[in-house]
Parts: sequence; C-alpha cells; structure tokens
Amino acid sequence: MEGIFAPERRSTLIAVLIIFVGLLGFSFLTTGADMAQLSITLLSGLLQGMLLFLVASGLSIIFGLMDVLNFAQGAFFMIGAYIGWEIQHAPNLMKAIPDPNLRFLVGIAGAVIVGAVLGAGLERGLLRPLYARPIFQLVATFGVSLIALEVVKLIWGTAPRSWTEDFTLSSGEFSLFGQFFSTYRLVVIVVGVLLIVGIAVLLKRTRIGITIRAGVEDSSMVEALGINVRLVFTGVFVLGCAVASFGGVIAAPFLGASNAMGAEFLLGAIAAVVLGGLGSYEGTAIASLMVGIAKAVVAKFSVQYLNQPVWESLTPMILMAAILLLRPSGLFGKE
Amino acid sequence: MQTPATSIQQKPAWRRTLDTNGVFLLWTAFLLIFPFLVGAISGTSPTGRRGESVFQQGVMIEYLTYAMLAMSYNLIFGFTGVISFGHALFFGAGGYILGGAARALGGETGVIVGVVLAIVASTGLGLLIGIVSLRLKGVYYAMFTLAVAEMFYIFFRRNPETGSEDGFGLGSSLPELLGQRIVLFYLTVILFILMFLFIRRLMFSPTGAVLLGIRENENRAKTVGYNTLRYKLFAITLAGVLATITGMLYALLNRKVGPEMFFVNFTVNPLLHTIVGGIGTFIGPILGAVGLSWLERTIRSTVLTVGESQINIGQWWAIILGVIFVAVVLIFPYGVVGTWNRAAPHIRKWISRFLPGRNAESG
Repeated sequence: MEGIFAPERRSTLIAVLIIFVGLLGFSFLTTGADMAQLSITLLSGLLQGMLLFLVASGLSIIFGLMDVLNFAQGAFFMIGAYIGWEIQHAPNLMKAIPDPNLRFLVGIAGAVIVGAVLGAGLERGLLRPLYARPIFQLVATFGVSLIALEVVKLIWGTAPRSWTEDFTLSSGEFSLFGQFFSTYRLVVIVVGVLLIVGIAVLLKRTRIGITIRAGVEDSSMVEALGINVRLVFTGVFVLGCAVASFGGVIAAPFLGASNAMGAEFLLGAIAAVVLGGLGSYEGTAIASLMVGIAKAVVAKFSVQYLNQPVWESLTPMILMAAILLLRPSGLFGKE
Repeated sequence: MQTPATSIQQKPAWRRTLDTNGVFLLWTAFLLIFPFLVGAISGTSPTGRRGESVFQQGVMIEYLTYAMLAMSYNLIFGFTGVISFGHALFFGAGGYILGGAARALGGETGVIVGVVLAIVASTGLGLLIGIVSLRLKGVYYAMFTLAVAEMFYIFFRRNPETGSEDGFGLGSSLPELLGQRIVLFYLTVILFILMFLFIRRLMFSPTGAVLLGIRENENRAKTVGYNTLRYKLFAITLAGVLATITGMLYALLNRKVGPEMFFVNFTVNPLLHTIVGGIGTFIGPILGAVGLSWLERTIRSTVLTVGESQINIGQWWAIILGVIFVAVVLIFPYGVVGTWNRAAPHIRKWISRFLPGRNAESG
C-alpha cells in the first residue's frame, strides 16, 4: 500500500481526507446531529461502497493488467444475484437442502463458479483474439453485457425477484443508538473489508501478485522471463468476474435480483474506478467507499429535504465529473 | 481493367458526373419517388394519414433516422477514432428540447424555437463534454460519456415534470403541416441526403484529413503540429449536433418523447450498425442501419410454427443481434463494406480468369 502514501501523493491524500470529512459533516448536518440517523446513514454508505468495490475491483485490476475495460462486469454482478436467488428459492432445491443457511452457502459457491466459468469463456473465446484491437475489446464486452441482460430476461423475466427465504444471518438485527440495523449487512461490510485486504495481499505479497504487477508494467518482458502471461491474464479476468458474481449473490438477500442492477452497479463502479484512477487498486478501494458514502448521504438529504430521490442515482456521476475536471486521470491515476 | 486517364477526359462532363455519382443519384431518385412507388404498387394514396404507402413511409423514416444516427456516430468512431458510449445523450436531448419547446409554445413557433434551441444546446453540450473529458484517454472518455448519458436517462425517467417513464406526447402541440406523413418523409430524405453529402465533403476536406490522421496515430498528428484536441472537440460536437437533428426527427415521427431516447440502446445501435456495415466508410453505417433495422422488423414479426406450438422469435432478437455482432467483430472486423472493399480486387481477378482475353491486362 506504499503507493498511495508516497510524498507526491500527499496533496491527493489530503484532498481525499477533506472530501470524506466534508461528507461526514454534511451527513451530520442533514441528520440534525442525531447519532442514530448518522450512524445508520454511514453504515448504509459503507455497505454500498463495499458492494461497489466488489464490481469495481475487478474492473480496475483487469484494466490495470490487460488494458481491457470489462463492461460486462455489471452483468456478472446481476448473474450472481439471480443464481443466488434461484438456488435459495427453487422448489426442488428447497426440498433437497432444507437448511436455508446451507442453501445460501451453496448459492454463493454456485454464483462464484458460474461467474468464473463465464469469465474464463469470455476471456478465452472473445477477448483473446482481440488483443491487437483494443477498441473492439471494449465494444465486445459491451455487447456481451447486453446479451447477458437479454438471456437473464429470457430465463427470469423482467419482474424483479425479492428475497423471501430468510436464513439465520439475514433475519438478525442489532441496535445502534436505538436504531436497528440488519446484522447481515454488517457482515457484508466486514466481508468487503476482508476482500479489500485479501486482494491487496494477493497483489502485493505473493508471487502471483508480483507476476501480475510486473505484467501491468511490461507484459512482454514478463513473457520473456518464461512466465505464461496469457494464463495470468485469464486468471485475473476470472478472478475479477468471480468477485463481481460474489458481490451479486451476497447483495441479493437485501437487494433481491433485478434486470437493472447490473447497469446500476456498473455505472457506480465505473464512477469509482475513474475517480480512483484507472489501474490503481488502492484508488479504486478509496473511491468506492467515497461513492458509496456520498450516495447514502445524498439519499438521506434528498429524502429528508427535497422529496426527490433522483439525486441519489446521479451522485456517482456528478462526483466523477467534478473530480475529472480537477484531475483528468482520477485521484491516484498515473498522469 | 483500369480505364486510362485520357478516356475520362474525353467523356463529356455530365457523363463523368454520372460515372462517379451514378449510384448516389439512383438512390436519391429512389427515395424521392418511394411514396408514389409504394402507393402505385399497393394502390393506396401516398398522402393522408392511413394506408400502406403512408405506413411504409413511416418505416422508411425510421430506417433513415437510424442511418443518420449511425452516420453521425461513424464520424467520431469511424473517422476520428474516438469511442463514445454516450451518443444517446444528444439524440435524447434533441427530442426533449424540441418536445419541450413545442409543448410550451405550440405550433410553428414552438418547433422553430425548439430546433434552434436544440442545436445551440447540443453544441454547448458537445463542447462542454469535450472540454471536460477529451483530455482523458480513450477508455476514460468512453466511460465518462456512458455515465453522463445514463445520468440523463435516470434523471428523465424519474422526473415527473417530463412525464417520468412515459415521457410526453407532442401530438396536439405540433403544427398541422408536420402531422402529414409525406411532409415528414421528404424532410427526412432531404436531411438524410444533406447529412450524407456534408460528411462526405467534410472527410475530403483538409479538416477531414486531420481527423483521419488522428484516428491513425494521434501522437503523429500532434507532432506534425495539429492541435488534435481542438479537432477532436470539433468532431464530437459536430457528431453531437447531427445526432440531435436525428433525435428531433425521431420525436416528430413518433409524436412523443420518452426517457428511452437517452437509453444506451441509442448508442449501441449506431455502434453496431457502424461496425456491421463498415467502420470509417461512407455507406457502411447506412447499410448496417437499414439492413439490421429491416432484419429486426422482420424477425420481430415472425412467428415460427413448430408442430403444435408457435414460437415467437421476436424476443430472441437481441440475442440474435448479439451473435451477429460478435461474429462480425471476430470474423469481419471491417464490416460488410470494408470487407467488400478488401475482397473486391481479388474477386475481380478471380472472375477475370474465366473471361478470355482479360488475362493479360489484369495480371
């Protein structure tokens, strides 16, 4: 993580700090200094930030290594949610695995596996032939995201699916300053933090991570050292897709599954990745949290004072546009 | 097989014009007589509000607006090499501004004010987006434009003042003249031909050459001394204005505007049309747009009967399109026109082998 603490980054870090403090102050004012409201707003912001990160991290790492912007990342999130929902709610599976907790774990495994397999297929089948033509890769992943959406519509229809089969964690609640908050959401936040740290460790402290980072710098040099960069590419792509799928399935118990969620999370993630600086992992993590918290704060504000929920969904883009104006390559991007 | 230069000189001027522009003039003539042609075949009147001819005119207007959208997209994507995922933004802006003005002022004034406002606003929007985002590298630009367009989509979908999800109808606020299908048809045909000629003229001008230079190698163009940023800004603003004009036509055809005009479909469709037809060619986008729109219309209305059950394959359209698209990207990256241009010399050579007496020349 030394990258973001380098001396030349100091001004950026201060700016980030100011933004976070500003958001905190704004939510403090919005909630009228009510600790219960404030903590709930911030927790839901953290939660959104974590979910965004699960989509954005793949986007960022894949871009960093392969210069491919995977527009299908949102589709993987959506597919993960639908598969998790299906495994939890399918009548046959409910008979076969009566324990809802176990079913949820199976759902997670299923979603991750499907995400990984589809990701591998996408990289091998569609992206590999196109490395010489990057614009077509962009276009191809975009096309795939649309096909995925249509396939999901054919299988599950256009009506959103809501989560009705509770398991132990999802029905639990805890109180904070007298306000109730779902335990499960807290668990998702913790899982998100663990993933941020886990992927960071993978990238910075393992041999695979060294290979990946070296590949980011100069893939032909790594190839010359006798390492199969293509295989690493596939691995990273699969990882990114599996993490997005995982995000979808762990979000499903409170978000349900819907056609629109893929695009929504993709846009939030894009905003986060651009904000953080393309290819900067730490930047993506920080920006995801920033976007998540900003969304929650603006949602609180607009519900309380404006009675106009549209601003919440516009927040990521406005934030992104503002930062891009000041810094054309994002907070931690290379100039 | 090459005609010697001298023989071109010997031909009269009208003949030379016909040689180079014959196909173009033929199609122009076809479009101009289209309503009467369909009217004569089906025995319906080309004017009025109903009938086969009027219906087919509507279909043709739709194809032409898609073709115009694809042409404007091709200007940035195909000729300048800038990839935008927010083209729908301009399309939707055209529709909403015209619609808003027509609803507020009504009649001819509303439409005129709307057209002027829309063009001014889209110029401003293009410049603004360009200034903010063109310093960004290709992918950043693609993402940024997607985000901005999507922002507008979400905004108009949730804004009750513009009818939220449904948008609003223009029927009562448009002047009587535009209510006649044939007027709108000729308006579209004229704008379509003007746009085609304009883009062709532009691309053969020095500015067009710089745009192509940016597409091929931006750093080289920069080194030679061109302010590439300014040229790109010009290209995206111009493409935006052209898309706005298309959006206005689309709104006039449907006599309503809705948030779907900002939806990513109106970016993806011109993108697909351009790629399938041929990136960076003049007729590729038109061919792609008309061909794919015709295919969509046909497939959507087809019901397959397999034994007892009837299968409506219309709902498979998006998937079919996706497969066509992926196949084209993988196998024919230059699209129909580009592939043809590359293959034509070989085909001619191959055919000429079977024609006696041509061998010596073509070899």
